[in-house]
Amino acid sequence: MRRLAYLAAGGMLWSLSVLAFANVPIGAVVENVSLPTLTGAPQNLLGDTNVSVFIFINPELAHSNQALAQIAACEKEMTGKPVHWSAVVSDRISRSKVEAEIKSVGLSMPVLIDQSDALYGKFGVVLHPVVGITDQNRKLIAYQPFAKVNYKAFICAQVRHALKEITDEELAEILKPTAAVLGGEASVAHRFLRLAEKQFQVKNYHQALANIQKSLEKNPTAAAHSLQGRILAAQEKSAEAAAAFEAALKLDPKDPAALEGNKGTKETAK
Amino acid sequence: MPQPENILDNGRKGIVRTHRRGFKGREIRTTLLSLLLLACGYVTLAADAKKDEAAPVAKMRKNDLTPIPDLQKPVSAHSPYQDGDCSLCHQNKDRTNPGAILKQVNALCLDCHDDFGKVMARKYSHVAARVNCVSCHNPHNAKQPKLLVEESGALCLSCHTTISNLVTNAKVKHDALTSDAKCMNCHNPHAANVEHLLTRLPFDLCVGCHGKDGIKDQDGKVLTNMKKLLAENPEQHGPVAGKDCSACHSPHGGNNFRLLTKEYPAQFYSPYDPKLYDLCFDCHEASVVKDAKTTTLTKFRNGDQNLHFVHVNKDERGRTCRACHEVHASKQKHQIRDAVPYGKTGYMLKVNFIQTATGGSCAQTCHLTRSYTNSVVPLAPKKTDSEQPKAP
Repeated sequence: MRRLAYLAAGGMLWSLSVLAFANVPIGAVVENVSLPTLTGAPQNLLGDTNVSVFIFINPELAHSNQALAQIAACEKEMTGKPVHWSAVVSDRISRSKVEAEIKSVGLSMPVLIDQSDALYGKFGVVLHPVVGITDQNRKLIAYQPFAKVNYKAFICAQVRHALKEITDEELAEILKPTAAVLGGEASVAHRFLRLAEKQFQVKNYHQALANIQKSLEKNPTAAAHSLQGRILAAQEKSAEAAAAFEAALKLDPKDPAALEGNKGTKETAK
Repeated sequence: MPQPENILDNGRKGIVRTHRRGFKGREIRTTLLSLLLLACGYVTLAADAKKDEAAPVAKMRKNDLTPIPDLQKPVSAHSPYQDGDCSLCHQNKDRTNPGAILKQVNALCLDCHDDFGKVMARKYSHVAARVNCVSCHNPHNAKQPKLLVEESGALCLSCHTTISNLVTNAKVKHDALTSDAKCMNCHNPHAANVEHLLTRLPFDLCVGCHGKDGIKDQDGKVLTNMKKLLAENPEQHGPVAGKDCSACHSPHGGNNFRLLTKEYPAQFYSPYDPKLYDLCFDCHEASVVKDAKTTTLTKFRNGDQNLHFVHVNKDERGRTCRACHEVHASKQKHQIRDAVPYGKTGYMLKVNFIQTATGGSCAQTCHLTRSYTNSVVPLAPKKTDSEQPKAP
């Protein structure tokens, strides 16, 4: 089962790894560049840290705007970790517009100015926004395009994975979360079991038995058979109780209540 | 001790009242105290929820939680109530005088519904469920399945008014909202691992229906089986490869064809107008079709001559994105179409696009063979009269 989960995680990560910049595939070494920033002083695209994250954004485009706040939140969440962050914007975009957007979302990373879209062309960016992540050897290890849903979770998970804080399996679970389906028979059965337990506690044996029967019809478990045995034993129906305990032990030979109940009914029979 | 009326003014007047209702031929009087405590539980939990949430907590619904008389034929009934076990939740077993509830509402529910502890621990949970189960469920019985106080779609839309307005006023409607489980086709009303309480990521939800043959739109037009299309076409558009249908489509309804979030040209030819491409320009640089010259914005250029500009940016008969690209996926790189429609008979004319290491070519389709190179040295073939573009 665990092996299957790993295989699924691997498959998921492989399918994501086919997404990349047009000119820089996953695994390629990214050349570091120094570019002027919004504040003037030039900054490197990549840092000497374990992980570098760079984000191509265009605050004039709707999706970049939606993404900025989430990227800023992720940057904040990662404060203190060995991550070098940088954003890249084209010099075609109004500086005041960029500054206003950056300020409004509280992005604190340096914003590099891409002159004549040279870096954009070098990477073959095509879409905005897009995030690239490199390791300490400046190898591109992740590419994350924009997503309308779960974007912050995706970015943060990719960074955590790059930092080796989460495993491949954990990353895959975030990138393709387990379906949150409603209820199901097992769930309903469990509620009947809990209700029967409560009715048993207040000695409402008749209703307790009726509800445990409903539980068993939907999902026969050792716990349900065992409770059925206890209710029947309390009603002094020893033979039926013994049969219920036996049924519980067939499903779970170590069920403590069934073991004890079984012992009790045998002693009563003696 | 505050007067009940003062507490009830805290937004839950509707649920707390003394009344007479028939029950198996008898009249019962629900006590004010039991429901009053319920209301107090609500107030406490709402305050807790506010602490946890950055976003403001929506005002919860005011529901009448008294039992529905059997004469009105409830559709669902809570087992303890049906069994007459009032004391599992209330102080007394007496239906005519059940007394206060034993715990705060949600704590009481979780006593039996303890599997919901795990459900509610998911990353994203519904404020209404966190605050109070009785925001949506009647703990006794109901005229709806699952003890819901109202029909499920109407129940959701009674609070989610923005969506309600969108659904009502949208020119293009999505059947998913009105068929089967309605909102719950895509959302889990309690909690989920995906934002907006989606049960799965958008793509996985969409292909649940759009991965089948024979699905039709509201006008009866058969829609593409996306699962099949993507299986047969490996070169996928970024949002498709990223499995993010909602990047381009508005699942609740909208005013653009195919539920597109913004305008996208439906025609093959169109005079260039940036507004037509609003959808594309959410992600793609407008300059890719605005700038006549570039060496960085696109690889579809002959030297520095931007061929996107050449094709699209025309006052008349500009080629729209769909003239050359498939929007979801294709067999060729860059989602280049295999063929384009020619004439009114539905005949498909092959594009014959070939990508090379330094550029590519298109042959014998809209024009005679033309190649381009995206190195800075132009290698365009000499244009002759016979190579003038012709309409597909």
